[in-house]
Amino acid sequence: MYGRGLRTLSIATVAVMGIALALVFFYAPLEAEEGFLQKIFYLHVPLAIVTLCGFVLGALLAIQHLRTRDPRWDMRAYVAIHMSLIFAVATLITGSIWARGSWGHWWVWSEPTLVSFLIVFLLYATYQPLRFAIEDPERQARYASVFAIVAGAFVPLNFLAVRLSTEYLHPRVLGSSSNLPAKMQLTFLVSLLAIALLYGTLCKYELTAKHTRAQLRALRRRLAGDGAGSRTPQGRSAEPRLTLSPAAGPYASPATGASAPRGAGA
Amino acid sequence: MIVALAPALPLHEAGKYVAGAYVVLFVIVLIYVAIMAVRLSRIERELGELLELAGGDRQPPHAGGEPDDTRGTIAGRVGSTGIDSPESAARTESTLA
Repeated sequence: MYGRGLRTLSIATVAVMGIALALVFFYAPLEAEEGFLQKIFYLHVPLAIVTLCGFVLGALLAIQHLRTRDPRWDMRAYVAIHMSLIFAVATLITGSIWARGSWGHWWVWSEPTLVSFLIVFLLYATYQPLRFAIEDPERQARYASVFAIVAGAFVPLNFLAVRLSTEYLHPRVLGSSSNLPAKMQLTFLVSLLAIALLYGTLCKYELTAKHTRAQLRALRRRLAGDGAGSRTPQGRSAEPRLTLSPAAGPYASPATGASAPRGAGA
Repeated sequence: MIVALAPALPLHEAGKYVAGAYVVLFVIVLIYVAIMAVRLSRIERELGELLELAGGDRQPPHAGGEPDDTRGTIAGRVGSTGIDSPESAARTESTLA
């Protein structure tokens, strides 16, 4: 189900990324001050934007999970945040490289954009340990959703706070004060699309893999009999447990078959 | 065409930083793909175990001498789970909703 359209999406991602790279290196003009170093901008800024949007998306999916109590929404929120964390690591590393080339330092603590992004990253870095700390799948999903919503609300607030601060050094890219030439703006937008597509594709891969594993577990239980869940014990895990068994509730424990389908029929 | 017309890239001092930044993304995606490959191999192994499980306790062939069709047995068993096809997978999903 999740694998539908994956091939098309993958091809589109590779194609747009190829176009974006060609535009970055062979179309966009060199920036007057930073010169060739400014090419990092077309990678770093889209990564940061997609990361923050991914965190907000995770919050929206978590709201949907709390509304419906459907574990599939929890799985989607988990994957969105998980992938955003990976993109956040890439953002921090590319940002550090850019800072080193531009300012001569790997990290500048007085720069609000850098530090605020690090705070957001560290906040979300606690998401996985939080999930891992809770053994009961339903409680885990519920608490993780609450966390995702609160943290997701923090992201735009944090962004606004940085925008309003006066000591920023980062150039503004979009908006009324944008000073990007048309060629650079087009390159930036294509790069943003490429990174967004990459994010979407990797999320879809992750969801497909997790769904397939859930299907395999359901199949194993069916083939080996009802009590066979005990043959494949599931230990404590940060991952949402999607149990695809028509006989049991969505939060069914494989070992006991006990379920807690509270509000599952949304 | 674009590459041919484009000026030579000024890969001087800044080149290593730009290359480093783009390589970082490439490496991260590469690591992710490697992890996905490991997961895929695990899924493949589990599927193999299930095939063994499905084939191990199948009924002996009829006296009529029908060919030993393991796929039929598996299909029958898998079919009972309701997750043998994308359509039935979707049905299973909708059961949860």
